[in-house]
Amino acid sequence: MAKLEASDAVVFGISIDSPAANNAFAQKIGVTFPLLSDMNRKVLKQYGILKMYNVQKEEYDWAQRTTFVIDKKGVIQSVEEEASAINPNNAVAVCTKLPKK
Amino acid sequence: MRSLHLKSMIVGAALAGCLAAGAIRAQEDVKVTHTSLKAGDMAPDFTLLDNQWKQIHLSDYRGKKNVVLAFYVLAFTEG
Repeated sequence: MAKLEASDAVVFGISIDSPAANNAFAQKIGVTFPLLSDMNRKVLKQYGILKMYNVQKEEYDWAQRTTFVIDKKGVIQSVEEEASAINPNNAVAVCTKLPKK
Repeated sequence: MRSLHLKSMIVGAALAGCLAAGAIRAQEDVKVTHTSLKAGDMAPDFTLLDNQWKQIHLSDYRGKKNVVLAFYVLAFTEG
């Protein structure tokens, strides 16, 4: 996190949870960045990362684990899906290389 | 008699092949939507509520900050 802040980046977590659930989750895991609620799945659809999960034979569409790095011009610099999205090192590396201005 | 047997074997094999292909296709449908966005694309703007019920507009960070968006599956899970 400190490295990301140093590289002039802000971090947002996004899921389909409610703000209340996200706030409880934020307190539990001690995150310092905002967790955003995409309850109507609008952004998940925009970003094309809805994924079907089968839970007890019922299907649910939730987010696919994905990390996007967006530069100051609004241009996507990197996209990581699934397992590699869990490890923040690459996102940090990408941010660190971006121009400061 | 022998050729009939052979024929039914071939038909059977073809059928099994079709079924297998169908099964594989059905499995692919289980439904990982890969994002069509890639490096170099513009990030779609959005407005969402954060965990303090504050509206966050992605566009507010344009020209100011780099943004890392980390999509996760559900709160209170390992995801």
